[in-house]
Amino acid sequence: MKRRAIHHKEKDTPSTNVESEVKSVSVKKLRTFFRERPLPPIEVAPPVLRYQSRRDFLIFGAGALASLAGAGFLLPRDTLSRLGLRRSVDSPQKEWFLNKALRIDDDVAEALYSVNRRVPTYTKSQITPLKNNYNGTTPDPGYIPGWKLTLDGLASGLSVSLDIGNLLTRFSAHEQITRLVCVEGWSAIAWWAGLRFDDLLHAYPPMSQAKWARVESSVNLDASGNPDPYFMSIDLATARHPQTLLATHFNGQPLTVEHGAPLRLLVPVKLGLKNVKAITRITYVTEEPRDYWAERGYSRYDGI
Amino acid sequence: MSHSTLPDCEPNFASTLPEQPGVLVVRKHHFLVRLSHWLNVPILLGLILSGISIYWASPIYQHKPDPNTGNFDVAADIGIWICAHVPGQHHYSSPPDWIYNHMSLGPGMLAPALRVHWLCAYSLMLNGMVYIAGLVMGGGWRSLLPRRTDLLDALRMFRYYLGFPFAKLARRKWPHPVFNTKYNALQRAAYFSVPVAGLLSIATGWAIHKPMQLHRLAAIFGGYTASRVCHFWLMWVYILFVVPHVILVFADGWDTLRSMIVGWSTRVKRSETIANEQ
Repeated sequence: MKRRAIHHKEKDTPSTNVESEVKSVSVKKLRTFFRERPLPPIEVAPPVLRYQSRRDFLIFGAGALASLAGAGFLLPRDTLSRLGLRRSVDSPQKEWFLNKALRIDDDVAEALYSVNRRVPTYTKSQITPLKNNYNGTTPDPGYIPGWKLTLDGLASGLSVSLDIGNLLTRFSAHEQITRLVCVEGWSAIAWWAGLRFDDLLHAYPPMSQAKWARVESSVNLDASGNPDPYFMSIDLATARHPQTLLATHFNGQPLTVEHGAPLRLLVPVKLGLKNVKAITRITYVTEEPRDYWAERGYSRYDGI
Repeated sequence: MSHSTLPDCEPNFASTLPEQPGVLVVRKHHFLVRLSHWLNVPILLGLILSGISIYWASPIYQHKPDPNTGNFDVAADIGIWICAHVPGQHHYSSPPDWIYNHMSLGPGMLAPALRVHWLCAYSLMLNGMVYIAGLVMGGGWRSLLPRRTDLLDALRMFRYYLGFPFAKLARRKWPHPVFNTKYNALQRAAYFSVPVAGLLSIATGWAIHKPMQLHRLAAIFGGYTASRVCHFWLMWVYILFVVPHVILVFADGWDTLRSMIVGWSTRVKRSETIANEQ
């Protein structure tokens, strides 16, 4: 057998020439495949050409008019009024259409989410400054001593009230250095510590049909300093992500009022606007709850 | 080659219509290529205008706040400069908003701008698939592939464009370089790089849009912040492409513009006709 194999090999050697020829033929074939081909001229009767051209120009014109109408329909009212178009169509259909586009994008974001996919973490040398981006006025720290977290919609049917001491002693702390991304486009890498939302969900299980949590801060103020409760929705699948924290510490120190003392939501797989500061109440619900920014024209799911 | 009417045919006496010779044309652009080409106009316009409105919310290029105006946005500086120096703009009510009022959907419109941007972005991706389908079905992709001779040919075209105005002024002959391909090297470079830029815009767009789930994609472009910078500059590729593209189409003539609407061109090369008849 061995000898035969050697013999076979020897026999093969002179055939390499043939092989390379075969190779060059296939290379040639490949080259002709990629080579530009001259456009074959065809003779067309003028009436046929005229008919086809007229048809194509009409389609083109109809498309141009449709785009203009579409722009008039879809663009924001302020943009149109600046263009001198005062009679803007502010119809419910317009909202419906743009919201539909947003919902498709939300569905894509939801499909991308996986509880097992971790977000990148960074080292302490990569930390960047995080500005106080309180929407409106930063609240007076007077609320902090009497602060309590209320949990509603639990499996027990009871309403639970916890203070920061309960939370810090009952749950183990987790640290992470992650990036917070704002819907505006800026981002910041910060060092956070706190308890896992998932641990809270295990300690105080929500009612069985619950799919959403409504996270609320009653201390939020508007730009003129009047009470403006902040509330937003978070799906429980995201709440169960191991990197979704109820943060108590920022840069190794207890949270300051600017960053949502004493407890804020830190959910790096969502936009910054879902990271509610100074949470006062979490309510588990079956239907998607209202959302502060979704009511102001932003998307609802906000998965990033 | 099939001739519907041949000039040397015996006249058909049964017909009362006068004989009309056929027109020689070439099929230049596939229907789907034409469709996606024109759809790109509203889609790209929507993306750029809403994109600049999104940029307003958090400009990439910032400086220390100006002690007088408090402005930190380099783009707003350009508007302030325009209002100060361009005649007719001196009484503009809000100079820092000039750029955003003229080149975007407007300042302070992040939510509607994002919605328009997503709508156009999904449309662009679908349209890109239509374009690729048209290129494959019509075989037009072969005309876009770069060649080994492109660098030299591109330089010849550059020389032609640079010298063109002077030759016109001096009333000298300035012949267009001859190529026996559908596009010259410069066109090919442009028509090849714009779809590539489109792909990069889509990739950087996703990297900014889903920086956590697609963080590996963002890492290719140097992370989240760098992806934003890439996405911003890719916009300039389209702007810098469109300006000469439109000028040259009008300069080249009606046949070129018409061919993108009707698909056919009457610019039939004689040599090809002969080669085809043999």
